[in-house]
Amino acid sequence: MARAWDVHGLRQNARFRDAAGRVILTRWREMMSYRDGTLLGEDIEELHAMRVSSRRLRAAMDAFAAAFPERSFKRHLRSVKEITDTLGAARDLDVAVEGLTALVPTLSERQQVGVLALIDEYRRRRVVESEHIAELFDRLERDCYPRRFERWVARHTGIDVVRLDPRPPSEDG
Amino acid sequence: MAKPLPIDGLDPDRRLRPNARRILATRIGEVWAYGPAVTHPGRVRELHDMRIACKRLRYLLEIFHVAFPTDLEPFIGEVKGLQDVLGDIHDRDVQIPMLHEHLARLSARDALAARGLLRDTRTMPAPVRAEVEFDRFRAQLLQAGTSAERPGIQALLDMRMRERDELYERFLADWRRLGSTGFRRRLERALGL
Repeated sequence: MARAWDVHGLRQNARFRDAAGRVILTRWREMMSYRDGTLLGEDIEELHAMRVSSRRLRAAMDAFAAAFPERSFKRHLRSVKEITDTLGAARDLDVAVEGLTALVPTLSERQQVGVLALIDEYRRRRVVESEHIAELFDRLERDCYPRRFERWVARHTGIDVVRLDPRPPSEDG
Repeated sequence: MAKPLPIDGLDPDRRLRPNARRILATRIGEVWAYGPAVTHPGRVRELHDMRIACKRLRYLLEIFHVAFPTDLEPFIGEVKGLQDVLGDIHDRDVQIPMLHEHLARLSARDALAARGLLRDTRTMPAPVRAEVEFDRFRAQLLQAGTSAERPGIQALLDMRMRERDELYERFLADWRRLGSTGFRRRLERALGL
């Protein structure tokens, strides 16, 4: 699983609001860093990493909900949930196909027929899920959602994403 | 899915630790609230809700660990272990009904194919119809139907049901071990609760 990005400037005596901005913006950028790989669809681990990051982001938003006005918070949480759910449907099928494909050689020839047919069905459904993912990110881009999200967090926490400069952990750990 | 309980008395302009304590105290209570229900393997909803509660608690410990002087890693590891086994149980609880449904769909497709074949034979002239023997009908049905797919799906279903039983046993052993080693008390102490 992809490692979570370090949160810059997060200290033991941090204020709740300041920590909210740092953690949420880091998780947001972490999640979005997998978008291109996910849309490309060549490596199922890209989508998996994006989904894991989106769950970390949701957890961070839940943890720091008190730092934001309730109405706008609910709206943004819904958008992030939509990302997690859309990726989740595709990920479930990836896992199912991978698991069943590994199982096939252990089955008798008679048993393989049904499982291979099931794999085919899951692959067909997976193609449809890829279309849903592409549609979702198209819509988010059209609505300038990434910029709006970052501004919303900055407005309520005082943390600017450019100055925070979240980055992936270095290769050597 | 059970919604997380609201938390009163949070002040975003105070330090992280007192706020984190309030949040974590509530979320720990949520996990343990499922304790009595999940000692029965058939409580699918409660097992699922406990998994979600564990997930919330684990992520919160990961997020807030920076605010506490105690190393929370061992606690996070235990909660993650519980969440993982509950997740594996949940996967089976989702897959098993799906496989049952898949078998039902195969049956429905077979029935449709059989009806189609019967309709075709009924329109044949009587002398020809007499020649349509059972074996030929069966061969056509096999071709048009899905019977060949059934053994694999049934084997998969049996496998998932066995795994579900084993996973539940493992979960129960883990849950009882956490109880007997005072895990909750130790975690609360580490958080200063």
